[in-house]
Amino acid sequence: MALKIEKTFEVPEPLEKVWAFLSDPRKVATCVPGAQITDQVDEKTYKGTIKVKVGPSVTDYNGEVQIVRSDTENHEIEILGKGQDVRGRGSASMKMTGKLRALDSGGTEVVSESEITVVGILAQMGSRVITEVSNIMFGEFTKNFQARLKEASGNPAGPAAGAEVAPIKATSLAWRATKGLFRGKSESDS
Amino acid sequence: MIHKTSPEIGGMGHSIKRKEDLRFIQGKGNYVDDVHLPGMVYGQLVRSPYAHARLKSINTEKAKAVPGVLAVITGEDLAKANLAWMPTLSYDKQMVLATGKVLFQSQEVAFVVAEDRYAAADAAELVEVEYEELPVLVDPHKALDADAPLLREDREQKNNHIFHWEVGDRQATEQVFQKADVKASVKAFFPRCHPAPLETCGCVADFSRATGRLTVYMTSQAPHAHRTVFALVGGIPENNIRVISPDIGGGFGNKVPVYPGYVCAIVASLTLGVPVKWIETRSENLQSTGFARDYHMTAEIAADRDGKMQALRVKTLADHGAFNAAAQPTKFPAGLFSICTGSYEYGQAFCEVDGVYTNKAPGGIAYRCSFRVTEAAYLIERVVDVLALELEMDPAELRRKNFIPTEKFPYKSSLGWTYDSGNYEAAMNLALEKIGYEQLRKEQEEKRKKGELMGIGISSFTEIVGAGPAHSFDILGIKMFDSCEIRIHPTGKAMARMGTKSQGQGHETTYAQIVAQELGIPAADVTIEEGDTDTAPYGLGTYASRSTPTSGAATAIAARKIRDKAKKIAAYLLECNENDLEWEPGKFFVKGAPSKSKTIQEIAFAAYTNIPPGLEAGLEAVDYYDPPNLTFPFGTYVCVVDIDKGTGEVKVRRFVAVDDCGNIINPMIVEGQIHGGLTEGLAIAFMQQIDYDESGNIQGGSFQDYLLPTAVETPHWETDKTCTPSPHHPFGAKGVGESPNVGSPAAFVNAVVDALSHLGVKHIDMPITPWKVWNVLQEKGVTT
Repeated sequence: MALKIEKTFEVPEPLEKVWAFLSDPRKVATCVPGAQITDQVDEKTYKGTIKVKVGPSVTDYNGEVQIVRSDTENHEIEILGKGQDVRGRGSASMKMTGKLRALDSGGTEVVSESEITVVGILAQMGSRVITEVSNIMFGEFTKNFQARLKEASGNPAGPAAGAEVAPIKATSLAWRATKGLFRGKSESDS
Repeated sequence: MIHKTSPEIGGMGHSIKRKEDLRFIQGKGNYVDDVHLPGMVYGQLVRSPYAHARLKSINTEKAKAVPGVLAVITGEDLAKANLAWMPTLSYDKQMVLATGKVLFQSQEVAFVVAEDRYAAADAAELVEVEYEELPVLVDPHKALDADAPLLREDREQKNNHIFHWEVGDRQATEQVFQKADVKASVKAFFPRCHPAPLETCGCVADFSRATGRLTVYMTSQAPHAHRTVFALVGGIPENNIRVISPDIGGGFGNKVPVYPGYVCAIVASLTLGVPVKWIETRSENLQSTGFARDYHMTAEIAADRDGKMQALRVKTLADHGAFNAAAQPTKFPAGLFSICTGSYEYGQAFCEVDGVYTNKAPGGIAYRCSFRVTEAAYLIERVVDVLALELEMDPAELRRKNFIPTEKFPYKSSLGWTYDSGNYEAAMNLALEKIGYEQLRKEQEEKRKKGELMGIGISSFTEIVGAGPAHSFDILGIKMFDSCEIRIHPTGKAMARMGTKSQGQGHETTYAQIVAQELGIPAADVTIEEGDTDTAPYGLGTYASRSTPTSGAATAIAARKIRDKAKKIAAYLLECNENDLEWEPGKFFVKGAPSKSKTIQEIAFAAYTNIPPGLEAGLEAVDYYDPPNLTFPFGTYVCVVDIDKGTGEVKVRRFVAVDDCGNIINPMIVEGQIHGGLTEGLAIAFMQQIDYDESGNIQGGSFQDYLLPTAVETPHWETDKTCTPSPHHPFGAKGVGESPNVGSPAAFVNAVVDALSHLGVKHIDMPITPWKVWNVLQEKGVTT
């Protein structure tokens, strides 16, 4: 199952600060619900995990995150993440491009495009549910991203590599996704 | 016409209540999951999340460490016993548990056995399987491309092609098309759907080390055939295998194949020496067991300007999934699809089908369908409507012009079938009259002026059921006869057993009515038993509307054998010559002296107590019936729909179903069958599809996405009948269970297309969801 998710949001922080944060997967990972970076393989490659729970279905992806392209000049980054569920229940991959633009207000606009491919038990939930789940996760990510930037002036935000991170509060994920479906818009839009 | 017996006897034509319902409505049925044996343990399958992947390793250590777990079986384990693969019913083979690679999402990879279901399910989650993903083939149209991934590495043939099958005269048909005035064509996809029976599949395998006997309680529509398959594949002497098919909660073709779960449970019981139960979950049933249809079809008709059809040409791509597990008679890889000429006469016809493998669940079973007749009926009834649009002719008129005339029966079709009997125009006339066709057309005209969308759809289908004559029909070499054994007890009560197996069809009632009809023993006094291979005579089982045409016929013939013997006993008792006796249901009497008579009950008693010299004791008979031909039920269905322009929602306003299944055994049961089949047809037409995304993920693997119709969605069904008996069946019956599912999809779709035809719409593929209709309306610029 392939999904395309496009999101644009603003953060009231200067562009260079946002870029420094966005171009460091260890920092970005702290904003992704249920995710953590466990190891750095080389300059551009990291190992990590992400746990997604939708209703009774828990998927525990274990994989790699790679910075495919990092354009400091134009403030564009392309990240490829791939993982397999530890119990063989499927796999997921995500190609995300992030693009920053300085705003007149002094803040920064983040434009992201993600292509997500899900294979396995989770994908059987159907694209309508998975899109909603992705939307919710992205909403959480945006909130975390803004909060981390605010609290962490130059601080290497979040726990160190390998530290325990709370998984996404997903008990209500399926319910919220369902509500989103019936309203015809996603939770993160509200 | 059939002589009608008294209500007390309750022979053919009486709407007696279903005998089996007494236990069902009290919750006292006995289904496979109700079987509890001492020391029984439970199995759970581990399934693949990938549609196509190399199997790198399987680690069962953590699973085995779960308290209560007794064994974890993998494909490698089965391979050691040469059981990793098993034959399908279509001369292909199928993996029991995966070795080397997996070929569809949800494929069986390992089997965990534990003391209880919870431990088995928990342990199954802990089986660690390492996969390496391979390119996935989902689109059957790409299966034969040079760069398509090769799915079946086990085969000598190194491509994804399963079979090519054709019938008819290709060149002669082509010539007619070249000269034809008018041509109409339609590309119609019959989506992958699933019978989704109320009860999922399952079994209890019980091997006794003490006796060496294996008893398998299983959800089987064909217990005898399954016993033979187990004997041939497992090497167990057939006399040491007993298959018991207890009450079955719906089959619809889903319970014809042998599934890996059965084999795993048997292997586990043989290994552990205890009974092993395996019951599917709902999602497992939808995702891995026999699906139906998945036919990508093209039909073309050539006709003259007056609408006289001249030739039919059909080309089909059949998606069979990872293994060809279709349940088909050997000689017919595309089943009876060549009935696609339908109810019409042509000069020429040609039909070809290619089967291919894809990374989807295996199958191609006959869902409430006599081997692809549903696909065929849908296609021809669809393309006839497209031709009507081309000719700007009323679709009823076009059908009337081309029906096979009644006087031409038995009729040899251009693709080789001999239709036994038919009166198509009578059925259509009755349906049109009942629905008020002329008036509805006027209403439609008025509505169109106002911009309202309303459509009328007709389907004048012909079926081909009751497989089948032994000269052409077999499954894995076993001829498709069927059987009945009747025993009359000394007190005149009877017990009859058949080679078929009811899954809700009401056999315990209808077979008893046949015995009642032939012998005059009240149906209430006749016990019917099926499904136990130790007691029932051999037969091929119940599917393809074959029970009445085969076992039903065997029942009548066996009863007539008994009646012949009863006559001899009666002559002895009445001290007269056999030739002086006459029969009326329930007794023999002396011609001209009706008071001198012996009832069948008196005769039965004498068969055990006062045996005529030279005659064997007892009163019983068995018959193995090989039908001389198939039977061809038919009918006309008319559907009226209204479409909401704002939402795209289709409302079925009325639906009239006129069926002709020959002589009827129990009108109430027939009506129930028609209601059920129409409701399933409605779901297929509007709601259901097992779809796959580009990675091979199942998009209809639970009832969240695969929708079942409830009373809310189901319209009021109006039924009626005509009666054209089968000339070759012992009591003129034809079989009916599948007609409504075969005939109705085209009626629904034709109605929707008819509502939109003035906008230039010629076809919409099923399932016709509101979303699909709404998109068509947007495209055509229709606004509220």
